[in-house]
Amino acid sequence: MKVDYRELVHTDRVHGSLLHDPEIFADEMERIFVQGWVFVGHESEVKNGGDWVKRQLGNESVLMVRAESGEVNVLANRCSHRGTALCWEHNGNAAFFQCTYHNWRFGLDGDLRAVPFPDGYSKPKEDLGLDRAGQIAVYRGFVFANLDGLAGTIDEHLGPAGYELIDRLCEMSPSGKIDLSKGWIGHRVQSNWKLWPESDSDGYHVGFVHASMSASTDTYYDDVAVGGDAVKSSRAVDYGRGHLELDWRPSYKKELSWLGVTRDRVKEYYSALAQRVGNDLADQMLWDGPPHAFLFPNLFLGETVIAIVEPVSPGEMIHHHTSVQFDGADDAFNERLLRQTEAAVGPASFITTDDAITAERIQAGVSGTDRSWSSTSRGWIDLSRGLHREEINDDGVRSSDASDETTNRGFWYRYLDAMSGKDRH
Amino acid sequence: MISAELRAEVEDFLYREARFADEFSLEEWEALLTDDFHYWVPAGRLEGDPSKQLAYLNDNRARVATRIRQLQTGKRLSQLPNSPMRRVISNIEIEPRNDEGISVVANFVIYELAAQSSGELRVWPGQAQYRLERIAGNLRMSAKWIELVTAHAGQRNLTFLI
Repeated sequence: MKVDYRELVHTDRVHGSLLHDPEIFADEMERIFVQGWVFVGHESEVKNGGDWVKRQLGNESVLMVRAESGEVNVLANRCSHRGTALCWEHNGNAAFFQCTYHNWRFGLDGDLRAVPFPDGYSKPKEDLGLDRAGQIAVYRGFVFANLDGLAGTIDEHLGPAGYELIDRLCEMSPSGKIDLSKGWIGHRVQSNWKLWPESDSDGYHVGFVHASMSASTDTYYDDVAVGGDAVKSSRAVDYGRGHLELDWRPSYKKELSWLGVTRDRVKEYYSALAQRVGNDLADQMLWDGPPHAFLFPNLFLGETVIAIVEPVSPGEMIHHHTSVQFDGADDAFNERLLRQTEAAVGPASFITTDDAITAERIQAGVSGTDRSWSSTSRGWIDLSRGLHREEINDDGVRSSDASDETTNRGFWYRYLDAMSGKDRH
Repeated sequence: MISAELRAEVEDFLYREARFADEFSLEEWEALLTDDFHYWVPAGRLEGDPSKQLAYLNDNRARVATRIRQLQTGKRLSQLPNSPMRRVISNIEIEPRNDEGISVVANFVIYELAAQSSGELRVWPGQAQYRLERIAGNLRMSAKWIELVTAHAGQRNLTFLI
């Protein structure tokens, strides 16, 4: 039976069945991950011609490949002959992709180059290339793809805010470029994928879920996200189109809070940065830090961490993360970012481990809800916090106290558009 | 060829360390560490310079102290309750080094129950590399490096002492 998403997503609440219903999951993989724009990877992961990485976009395995021409392609990891996966390692370098079943050979652009015993085919080779993403867009190294090619433009998807958030991160690098080639760490979580956009952009839980961290170490989250004053000055922001930010900037009590050091420890980085942007701007950046933001549907800009949300099944997902490395910064600075990443994010970290357990507990809690209950009062998740005090500016940007569910609602507004076909042209 | 006495002493140490970890005897476990202890679980093989890589876990002595304090707060959700777990250690190879330290390599399998959430039984196979030092006559651990069989595949909750 066709799902009516308007019955399940309301402004102040969403239905628990959205987090476990297999039909809904199947719809999402098609409408969000095939028909919409998704984040694939970063150009710095494929620096040289022939470099490739394997990524999972919803149900589809793809290869992000640097062609010899320098162009980045996003190709289906699926032989156009009989469907065999071409690559099964995480990454590599290749002059071509060759299927192990009948040795069909494809170029880095996905074109079919050679087949054994070609006299058996009357079809032209041009018709037998690999499936490739219908649209690809690259912005400051971030590679986005829309598999079916019908999603509208990347400008419509990202909007001014999507670009500004990426800019704000990249501008903190001495060269204006970031590098994401330290590899991705996978955290396998027994929860629906949509609980991570919520967790990554939820400012209400920090003092509770992460109480053990506050109690055992000095953390800047105590200043920006825990307790009365902090959650009043930091902002939960919904830029529209599912792009969200927890804006800590108003709450930082000193420069470099977000890195947990004083300026004398990062002198080299500061002077390299100031050389490009000037001292005033560099000073401001040391205060503000990189953004804590989520770009619909699968990209988390987690300050000095980048994460990808990968759905596996209705109750299973992988949170992949890597450490931002600033191009042009000294080795000691970038190593500090690696150590900070290891402390904050991943299966053995001090922070997101407790988010993961919370997501698993939500999954356990909602898994008994049924879609048919949406006409009753049973099985709902309340997201009304702060609705009465949310502000909307002239650009339609909504913001409220950091502990308000403005960001959570922002995710679901865009979700409803995507699932009910409003994103389509 | 190492002596039977040294082998017995090293094996006793490893089994004790394993039991303290399995039972969340955190103070006892921490007392086995040297001041320069290094704890490392890479997302691949045990090779290369740990400081240049992004790992699951890469703790110096100060960070492992924080890890233990966090577990001791009683608020660590991902270990509330602690995972019931037992590990088996085998294939122990011992190599004394020139500087009086001892390098040890062993295989392990941990059986862990995810009591905090789904309740599934999780199996963690891998190799542990230890560096032991003799301090005031007693063995202490100055490094524990873990190579998981699943290192490349991503992990579930890894907030116990592996």
